[in-house]
Amino acid sequence: MQANVGAVASTIVQEERAHRDARHDRLFSWLLKGCALLVLASLLGAAGATLWGGRHAFGTFGWHFLVSSAWDPGSDTYGALVPVYGTIATSVIALIIAVPISFGVALYLSEVAPAWLRTPVASAIELLAGIPSIIYGMWGLFIFAPFFADHIKPWLTNYLGDKPDDGKLSWVAQHTFIGKLFGSDYPFGASVLTAGIVLAVMIIPFISSVMREVFQTVPTRLKESAYALGSSTWEVSWDIVLPYTRSAVIGGIFLGLGRALGETMAVTFVLGNAMQFSASILDPGASIASTIANQFSEAAGLQKSTLMALAFLLFVVTFIVLLIARWMLRQLAHKEGR
Amino acid sequence: MAGNSSLYLRRRFTNALALALSTAATVLGLIFLAWILWETLRQGIGALTPKLFTKITAYGEEGGLANAMVGSLIVNFIGIAIATPIGVLAGAWLAEYANRTRLGESIRFLNDILLSAPSIVLGLFVYTIIVLPTTALTSGNTTFSGLAGGVALALIALPVIVRTTDEMLRLVPSTLREASLSLGIPQWKLTTQILMRSARSGIITGVLLALARISGETAPLLFTAFGNNYMTFNPMDKMSSLPQVIYQYANDPGESMHAIAWAGAFVLTMFVLLLSLASRLVLSRNKVSHD
Amino acid sequence: MTESAAAGIHPQSAASSAPIAPTKIKVRDLHFYYNGFHALKGISMDIPEKKVTAIIGPSGCGKSTLLRIFNRIYAIYPKLEAKGEIVLDGENILDTGYSMNRLRSKVGMVFQKPVPFPMTIFENVAYGIRHHEKLSRADMDIRVEQALRSAALWDEVKDKLKQSALGLSGGQQQRLCIARGIALKPEVLLLDEPTSALDPIATGRIEQLVEELKNEYTIVIVTHNMQQAARCSDLTAFMYLGELIEFDRTEQIFTKPSKKQTEDYITGRFG
Repeated sequence: MQANVGAVASTIVQEERAHRDARHDRLFSWLLKGCALLVLASLLGAAGATLWGGRHAFGTFGWHFLVSSAWDPGSDTYGALVPVYGTIATSVIALIIAVPISFGVALYLSEVAPAWLRTPVASAIELLAGIPSIIYGMWGLFIFAPFFADHIKPWLTNYLGDKPDDGKLSWVAQHTFIGKLFGSDYPFGASVLTAGIVLAVMIIPFISSVMREVFQTVPTRLKESAYALGSSTWEVSWDIVLPYTRSAVIGGIFLGLGRALGETMAVTFVLGNAMQFSASILDPGASIASTIANQFSEAAGLQKSTLMALAFLLFVVTFIVLLIARWMLRQLAHKEGR
Repeated sequence: MAGNSSLYLRRRFTNALALALSTAATVLGLIFLAWILWETLRQGIGALTPKLFTKITAYGEEGGLANAMVGSLIVNFIGIAIATPIGVLAGAWLAEYANRTRLGESIRFLNDILLSAPSIVLGLFVYTIIVLPTTALTSGNTTFSGLAGGVALALIALPVIVRTTDEMLRLVPSTLREASLSLGIPQWKLTTQILMRSARSGIITGVLLALARISGETAPLLFTAFGNNYMTFNPMDKMSSLPQVIYQYANDPGESMHAIAWAGAFVLTMFVLLLSLASRLVLSRNKVSHD
Repeated sequence: MTESAAAGIHPQSAASSAPIAPTKIKVRDLHFYYNGFHALKGISMDIPEKKVTAIIGPSGCGKSTLLRIFNRIYAIYPKLEAKGEIVLDGENILDTGYSMNRLRSKVGMVFQKPVPFPMTIFENVAYGIRHHEKLSRADMDIRVEQALRSAALWDEVKDKLKQSALGLSGGQQQRLCIARGIALKPEVLLLDEPTSALDPIATGRIEQLVEELKNEYTIVIVTHNMQQAARCSDLTAFMYLGELIEFDRTEQIFTKPSKKQTEDYITGRFG
């Protein structure tokens, strides 16, 4: 009798505990889900807030906003062309410079470097990623821009540009559009190209680390079979590894692009913040982020709304670029069966 | 066969050239790294005086960066304090409850996008949802605040913590889960008391990395914490931070202001690099072998 | 029920028709599917109480799958489905109404790789108990010691109970996991290839432990090591491609198996 009562009691206790556990489990999973949904909420919020803030500007200027290079606080007319162009131009230049260098770094670290050198060099390159962007800005403004103005720019303007110091246009400047790209009589080092170079240095570690990670996922068997056929290291990398990891490499490049588009501090100091359009990459310009950083505190009314509108544009473009980037990275992961 | 040997020669040449170029690229990258670090050290060490840490920015070139450093510590702390619990729980959801589900994959995807989203836009978002309402609610008494700055930084730290927690928890072998469930342990206890403890060093690394990341952020603080030339510990006050003051001083025409900015840059870089180093140590020292 | 069919369910040699021991777990017509794949096909067997039943078979035959149904650990994964009956002490554990908590307190499991919790040795054993019962400090100490003694680990760890369990050797960790499982005083102990990750000496100690534990617990052990099954078990079930081919006393299976497939496997013609 005792035993039976005990058994029944313990079953009841067990049932109670089971119910309590289930209840706690439910609460817990709701809590966690809520936290995870905050990620979604942040993205929606950022898009929504900037769209809302920019509604006045979008409403006033309409579609013309995207192609107008006006920027006149006096008459309250603004156009997005100059900052959008600056954002895209600096990022594209950064990519053109950074992608081959990143590939070189990834190749070096995967195939060329002796084993003992690999980790220190890889860590050093990653250190570049850890340096705060304001430091890049400082270095860009005080060190690199003057260096650029003294040693690189004159060479470019004189040999490639359409405004050389001595007035004599080179063959390249006379016969091709390149002259327009490199012609500049701006006396300082700030320019689209300078900003592009600084950005490039910033994004090299990102792109190269994605590439390196991705190169390491290539099955050794695949590479070994190529080597067995007598391929050289370069040929294996170019003909086997790169095609195999192609979508992830593109994903990594887009990732770098996404970062470059949104970068503020590294660019603001060396871009020059000139709100007028110039075809030359040796002239100063403006990017969306640098424009917002420079003007937002003092802006009011329509100008403020314009800056918000620009932020919205930046967010949308960056979102799409990053979407493509992550999607391409996932492609390789799926191929791996992960 | 002459034709073959010239082919081989060409291939050997291409190979050597390619490998040489890749070495050159790496050397170039390292040169830039050394250049940046060297200049920061060189320019900054000159103004590295005790008054940097004791005097406030209100004194301009006679002052220091004390209030900026304190402000940085405060907004960073607020940011991490908000982002860590939310991020760890969100990461746990992704790894334990939603792993391989459609919603989980989507959130993971979106998190990765938030990770690289432009920080200035996140700053404007917080401006809209915190600074503007507080201004309205307090009739202009409180506008920018350290709290708003902290929230902006939290948005930047959040995806980092979510991602590391998610990845670290997924590394824990599933047998541990099964063993725990076999004992009748409920899912919530399993997650908090066993799994998180198991992945603890990885999660801490994520928090440290997030902290290193937000310590260097300037743009989102410009329109949230704004800046303050005086020392304050009240998060509802405007607050300065080290990156923001560096930005301000660098834009100043005065040379001596630049010197202080460099000193601040040096301190900031050291802080961030030490944090990254610490996070690496944490991860390697506590490497639990899950063989 | 015909002789041959009966022989498949009740392990008995042709010589005697008396069952070996009272049945602890009755499996009837068990089918199991994952992702649509029919992994277990019509398994029926009677597992006797306080004996060691070994399940052997080549990789992929479904032996681990079968074992894991006994404590329904498969339920945490999606797209897995079981049909049929598994009757433990008169109740069908596959019933949706059957409490998992009850099941888990009656059926304990030890896994292939030792998985100690990231806690002290003491806590590892106490953790599970604590969730089910409220014990005083003194009572808990006694229970933990009991469990560790039963797992033949007490002497080696009694001085370092407060140390992290992760510092133990593989064999010790596995015995800790066994202690953890029996601390809840289950009635059945499921062992899924418990020694495959251990060296021969540690394996030997675990096998010795199994020999001792069967006096108190019904043990079902899955092993890919036939010699181990021959050494440790009282009964052996041979599975192939999701079906139960033969189930009989161990001596019978290993000396005079009645099915050709069993004989082929035992003699190593495939596997």
